[in-house]
Amino acid sequence: MTSVDQSLPRRTAWPKGWLVLSAGLLVLVLLYPTWTDPYSLTVLRDAMIFALFAVSLDYMWGKSGVLSFGHAAFFGIGAYAMPIIGPMVPTANAALVALLAGVAVAGIVAFVVGYFLIFGGVRGPYFTIVTLALCLVAQHIAIGWSEMTGGDAGLIGAPPFGIEMFGLSYLILDSVEQYYLVTAILTATLCVLWLACGGHYGRVLAAIQDNEVRARTLGYNTSGYLLVVFVISCMLAAVAGALYAVVSGYVAPDSVGLLLSTQVVVWVAVGGRGTLLGPVIGAFLAIRLQQVVSSIDFRLWPLVVGAFFVAMVFLFPDGVLPLVRRWMARAWGRLVPSSGAR
Amino acid sequence: MVCIWCGGERAVSDTVTLILNALTLISILMLVGLGLAIIFGLMGVINMAHGEFVTFGAFTLSLLQTAGGNYWMALVLAPIVGATAGFVLERSIIQHLYTRPLATILATWGVSLIIQQSLQLILGAGPRQGTGPISGAVNFLGADYPAYRLMLIAFAAVIVAVVIAMFRYTRFGLDLRAVIQDRDMAEALGIDTRRVCTIAFASGAALASIAGVLIAPMTKVIALMGASYLAPSFFVVIVGGAGSIAGVAAGSAVVGGLETVLNYEVPATVSQAIVLITAVVLVRFRPRGLVPS
Repeated sequence: MTSVDQSLPRRTAWPKGWLVLSAGLLVLVLLYPTWTDPYSLTVLRDAMIFALFAVSLDYMWGKSGVLSFGHAAFFGIGAYAMPIIGPMVPTANAALVALLAGVAVAGIVAFVVGYFLIFGGVRGPYFTIVTLALCLVAQHIAIGWSEMTGGDAGLIGAPPFGIEMFGLSYLILDSVEQYYLVTAILTATLCVLWLACGGHYGRVLAAIQDNEVRARTLGYNTSGYLLVVFVISCMLAAVAGALYAVVSGYVAPDSVGLLLSTQVVVWVAVGGRGTLLGPVIGAFLAIRLQQVVSSIDFRLWPLVVGAFFVAMVFLFPDGVLPLVRRWMARAWGRLVPSSGAR
Repeated sequence: MVCIWCGGERAVSDTVTLILNALTLISILMLVGLGLAIIFGLMGVINMAHGEFVTFGAFTLSLLQTAGGNYWMALVLAPIVGATAGFVLERSIIQHLYTRPLATILATWGVSLIIQQSLQLILGAGPRQGTGPISGAVNFLGADYPAYRLMLIAFAAVIVAVVIAMFRYTRFGLDLRAVIQDRDMAEALGIDTRRVCTIAFASGAALASIAGVLIAPMTKVIALMGASYLAPSFFVVIVGGAGSIAGVAAGSAVVGGLETVLNYEVPATVSQAIVLITAVVLVRFRPRGLVPS
């Protein structure tokens, strides 16, 4: 709702520079394991999982203008499905089955909640509040239903990713392989969303974001579009949650919490909503900053997040990186998209 | 778990207890929800920091009692603290964001985080206590019920009555209703809408702070307590409808009543989930709330 006029996604808004930046980043990410130490690799791997989570929110908030404050609920559904459902499957397919189950549950919950809300005409702030409540309930369930979720202590025992077919099986145990798996999923998601939102579909979403009544008058089933966006976005969040559960081997109520919901909004806001690649970079930068701040005092981080929100709405409603990009563009008299990266 | 519907002599007193429990929760929800609903109806602003006014009230009681003050002093001081905080928040941030509802959510959420974390850093994360002015139980229609809770219900009822009277019969109430109905028209008629909004916001904050004092003796006073009142009071507004006192009453009755009854039968987690689902389903059929303004 903030400055809709200047943030309409169009394919023309993706100059060659963005492609160069994306390709450069991808090469960097692919070659990273060749020179780095295992610890840094796991840090980047986790950051990419959170980046996937941020992209899932950006698809919804950035492309269709609907902000969910409860996205962590779906991240959590995906995460908890791994240690709960995974061990029930004896083969190497365990993680795959659990992933599909978790994503399906997230999709069903999103569909039911989204149907009642979106077709009930709930939009804007109301929608944000109800999703926030959803997140609170999910957190209560994660803490309260300890026979299933392990309560405050959380759960271990998410099975490793693997595949078993025709008597052959392969398990992904090595952290480098996990890293490439996460990279592949993130890259694929970004490409699919970028292609989808670049064309006619993206224009329809932009039209809904801009003026829903007008879009409906033009014959688009706007509620249907929004519901599909919500369900897909929540399923993507569940995928991110599942990946997180597998690589960290541990799920705790933090992963459904309100703070995570808040942080993912920060990541998208830093990167600039609606840009897809922006939230990825935003997640990297914010997680790095969180490590720095938390190493001073872990209680400072929520203060920083709070101050960020207040500063953001007044100083940079479109996000930090777009602002940096505009400054750079002004300074050099032309658009230099790679300036926002690192 | 006690089966409340089973026969026997205890049935009557259990039912009375159930109703009183529900009324306690409904009273609190009404006090917290009133401010939220009027602010939303008035300015279209969702104040995510509303729960922190409850926290302020509870901390006022706890700190004052630690310093040697008593309950009644806190009950007078808390609304002043809350109204001041509300005034500052409205003037410094919210007033500049009337036309940007989503930005208001983010900004007030930021303020909420800052307040929570600052309180935790300054006063520590450990739970504090507040003590009520009266203790013990009294016999009410055959049920032994804590005297403090009865006082709470009566006190909340008086406050709500005062708010209704102000809404109906004072000049400010008239201005307020005019602004809720049509902001532009009210402005054209010479009402200082900015002033009305600021006063309404500060009053809503004061009501939430009073709720904070009332709750404090029954719960742990911690910096993060506001969040647990924020979500239910949003349910109240969503279910009841924003901008009218009747809506808040209806919403509080549904949310508070349902949660209390469910708490007898199922674990708290499940009852919260059911309340959420009920709110979501109700929204589908009454998008503007049970009592649209």
